[in-house]
Amino acid sequence: MSDQVEFETVRGHVLPGAAEQATSGALAGFVTALPVSTLMQYQGMFDDAGGGVPAWALFIVYMTATGAAIGLVVGYRRRGLAVAASGGVLLGLLAWLLFALSVDPLLHGRLPTWSADAAASAYRELVGGLLHGGVTGAVLHGLLSWRARRPRSEPTPAGAPPLSRIVIVGSGFAGLSAARRFERLALRGVPVDVTLISDSNFLLFTPMLAEVASSALEPAHISAPVRAAVTHTRFRHCAVQDVDTESRSIRLATGAGPAQWVPYDHLVLAVGSVPHFLDLPGVAENARTLKDLDDAVSLREQVIGLLERADHSESDPAERARSLTFVVAGGGFAGAEVVAELFDLVHEVLHYFPGITPDEPRFVLVHSRDRILPELSPELGAYALDRLRARGIEFRLEVRVAAASAQDVLLSNGDRIATSTFVWTAGNRPSPLIATLRGEHAPDGSLITDPTFRVAGLDGVWAVGDCAHIPDLDSDGAPFPPTAQHALRQGKVVADNIASVLAGGVPAEFRFRTLGVLVALGHRTAAAEIRGHRFSGLAAWLLWRGIYLAKLPGTEKRVRVLLDWLLDLAFPRDIVLTTRRPTEATTPASQGRPR
Amino acid sequence: MTSDATTHTRTASLLRHPAIAGAVAGVAGGLVFGAAMAALGTLATVASIVRTGSTVVGFVLHLAIAAALGAGFGLLVAQQRARAGDAVFWGLIYGGFWWFLGPLTVLPLLIGQPVAWDLPGAQALLPSLVGHLFYGAATALVFVGLRRDAGTTTAPPFPAAVRGLVAGVAVASVLYLGLDVMTGTTAGWIIGVGALAGLGYPLLLGVHREGAGPALVRGTAYGFLCWIVAGLTLPPLLRDGRLDWSREAALAAADRLPPYLLLGAGVAVVFGGLGGLGRWLFVDDVRMLRVESPGSRGLRATGYGALAGLAGGLLFTLVMALVDALPTVAGIVGMASPTVGLIVHLVIAQLIGVTYAVLFRRRSFDLASGIGWGVSYGFAWWVLGALTLLPVLTGGTPLWSAAGMAASFPSLVGHLAYGAALGVVYYRLEDRTNPWWFTRNQIESERVAVQRETTLGSAPALWGFIVLVALIIPLVISG
Repeated sequence: MSDQVEFETVRGHVLPGAAEQATSGALAGFVTALPVSTLMQYQGMFDDAGGGVPAWALFIVYMTATGAAIGLVVGYRRRGLAVAASGGVLLGLLAWLLFALSVDPLLHGRLPTWSADAAASAYRELVGGLLHGGVTGAVLHGLLSWRARRPRSEPTPAGAPPLSRIVIVGSGFAGLSAARRFERLALRGVPVDVTLISDSNFLLFTPMLAEVASSALEPAHISAPVRAAVTHTRFRHCAVQDVDTESRSIRLATGAGPAQWVPYDHLVLAVGSVPHFLDLPGVAENARTLKDLDDAVSLREQVIGLLERADHSESDPAERARSLTFVVAGGGFAGAEVVAELFDLVHEVLHYFPGITPDEPRFVLVHSRDRILPELSPELGAYALDRLRARGIEFRLEVRVAAASAQDVLLSNGDRIATSTFVWTAGNRPSPLIATLRGEHAPDGSLITDPTFRVAGLDGVWAVGDCAHIPDLDSDGAPFPPTAQHALRQGKVVADNIASVLAGGVPAEFRFRTLGVLVALGHRTAAAEIRGHRFSGLAAWLLWRGIYLAKLPGTEKRVRVLLDWLLDLAFPRDIVLTTRRPTEATTPASQGRPR
Repeated sequence: MTSDATTHTRTASLLRHPAIAGAVAGVAGGLVFGAAMAALGTLATVASIVRTGSTVVGFVLHLAIAAALGAGFGLLVAQQRARAGDAVFWGLIYGGFWWFLGPLTVLPLLIGQPVAWDLPGAQALLPSLVGHLFYGAATALVFVGLRRDAGTTTAPPFPAAVRGLVAGVAVASVLYLGLDVMTGTTAGWIIGVGALAGLGYPLLLGVHREGAGPALVRGTAYGFLCWIVAGLTLPPLLRDGRLDWSREAALAAADRLPPYLLLGAGVAVVFGGLGGLGRWLFVDDVRMLRVESPGSRGLRATGYGALAGLAGGLLFTLVMALVDALPTVAGIVGMASPTVGLIVHLVIAQLIGVTYAVLFRRRSFDLASGIGWGVSYGFAWWVLGALTLLPVLTGGTPLWSAAGMAASFPSLVGHLAYGAALGVVYYRLEDRTNPWWFTRNQIESERVAVQRETTLGSAPALWGFIVLVALIIPLVISG
């Protein structure tokens, strides 16, 4: 009946609740049953009594129950006399099917047959039920109409306690998951007014970002619009400049415009993370990252542009080698996937560039540890290393990037790798907004929360996702890893916890065991570890695609990505450059805008 | 001239009052019903209320009652945004209700006879039921005509009539071919009736932009109306020059009731589909098209439909198991095992649930509308499934007869229960996950409110009337 509240209370009518509807319906049903049953009794229509109870009394009970059902189902609509009466007829007839044809035979020790003969023998009850239903509907409408108009002393819905203002900052997995959960909770009567604020109006499905960079997927296909995902939540497409936890308000980044503050009762911070360059010289200025769609598209343009340039630049071998060398820093999931996808992209489109021989492109992955993919078991890490090495990808292990320039990358062992393409995936830190907040911060800058996501020292502030340091009680308080599967569940639980607090309850501690990890290693190859079971090669690759396709938000996006993949079987990757800028002028994303 | 204008203004002002307009419309409806009563010779029964046998007195008294009931009708439906088509169904259920209250209840009391409420009595009063339905429909049409100034109805454009004609002929042709295949009989009459029914659909009920599901329900009720007019009333009138609404005549015409219902439903769906196709092909202003493309949330809706269909199917299983109908269903796949029958039944229940989701998605606003659409859809599937397809698929012929309908009464109960559960569960699922009427902004709220008001303007009458027809007609005709 939420729609009725929404549409009709504003017209000055106080609507009845379900209990009042049922009570009024039962009253109307009882009042109407009196003349109907009196007539039937007077006319000798009742055959016998059941269990010593007079038939007319049973009939009145049946009619009263029917009235209650009419009250609950039909309810009250302003100017809805005809609707109530016809609804009463409908319910009266259905009640006849239930009581006279089904329950009554059972009360008399017979199985119902629902035959035409049985219906004919219960025809009197049918007429009585129909007339009773129609009149009850009309009486009910009059009763509820009178009650809706009379003044009341108790608080009305219009004067009900105000909704709690919930503000969610960030539209990543955690933020959007929380917003979705709040929508469900609001429909169940939790008094919340939710606003989602984000400088991105879509949810980016980051596991597929590397495939966008390799021209295997269209950028828009791995992103879901926020407005479509949470259709009942207020959305502000805006960056947050400041959070005032004293006055409980958020200042939006409105540029030169007047300051705008959004007040909150509960704030959910789900602002995610940004690349962290560890203050290494030249890295922030010259490295490319892979955190959003711009990064992926820009990287793709860079690689194809360099191929275009190398195809006809034969005069300077060093410059040619530099153009065809691609360096990735970081041997985690992102780094391994990026280097594998770049390898696939270059070699799958190389036939368009006859001036480049297949042995010229060089791919280098720099990693500080002795093995890549530390999140996987050593065996799977070794498998991944072997597969990528077998393709010719170079690995510089136990070495760090020390500095970078537009011309090369300097490693901690003193080696220099001349390259025009340097991708940084070796570090992340919480969004800069987090650093502006009081409260306890972990060494990596994330906000420390308790296991229920409440930020220590900041009342009414909750943090989830990559920007939060949430202790895993099942792992001696170590923080949960920053993965989508965790963020999704944290978003849901934080909404439940806030609802619980609003209801005067106690928020629940977050416990979750990682389902598994998957990493794509390029063409038809992947490695996966799910609940202790290891997969590799084609099976893992199919698993990767199947699971992530299912996890994509929205059927539309799933279909579009699936079509992209199917088309990829029949057609080569696209090498269209969408910008006219010369390749040399292509700047790293970090230079074009604030990180 | 001034005097005429003043008189006209005063008359128009009087007619704006729903009770007065309703009373006038009631007199018009009473004239139709009264003429029929005169032909049937039943006016004396009315006159007996005032202890006389005069037909003139009976006619005058009948008109007075008709005016009073018409005033009540006007008050009842004045707030319902009644367009012509909507008002007809309000008139039909109003007339039907008064048959139960008047001839079956109040009249015997007034003339000192016992109130029986039994089936033989109802069968004897079948002509009165038909008369009451005519009275209700005529009253509604005149009532809407009198209040046309309020902008309650518009004449359908010529293309709509052509569209209706095409829809009628197309559906009738399918039924013609279907009958040929199923029974080997040729039913040429259905082509002519289909053309007339198609033409009459937009003319009588107006042109509405509504979904295929509501159109199907409206069409089913329209099919019944067509049967009353063209299947029951006109044949004896044209053949013998007399009116015959007796039970015997209805019994003889009962074999055409299911095809009329299918024809009406088909005409409405095809008529709406042709309109949608025309808009899709030729309308270049996207504001006039649907806002939401079907694929965005449609797949989830179909999943809900399957789930709701399963819930309804399980309820229906109770009926089927008790009346031992599962082996019959298994006959569809050439087997006789109850287990196979149960599987086939549940699969069909889910498939129908999916079609319900496609047809009635975003049409339920509350429990009442969920039940209403569900039971109406269940009845439509009783006609199409239990009376038509099931017997054919199990090697027989359609049960298009009074005896067949009576024999299928348990199935009718099951279909209504199935529909009610389907509608309720689907509504709850839609409500729980994405209550589409819970809108983000004021413009959308207003648009949804208008849609809701428009739907609820006629739909409750349709739901009630269809269930009334479903339960009463097979009993009264077959006995």
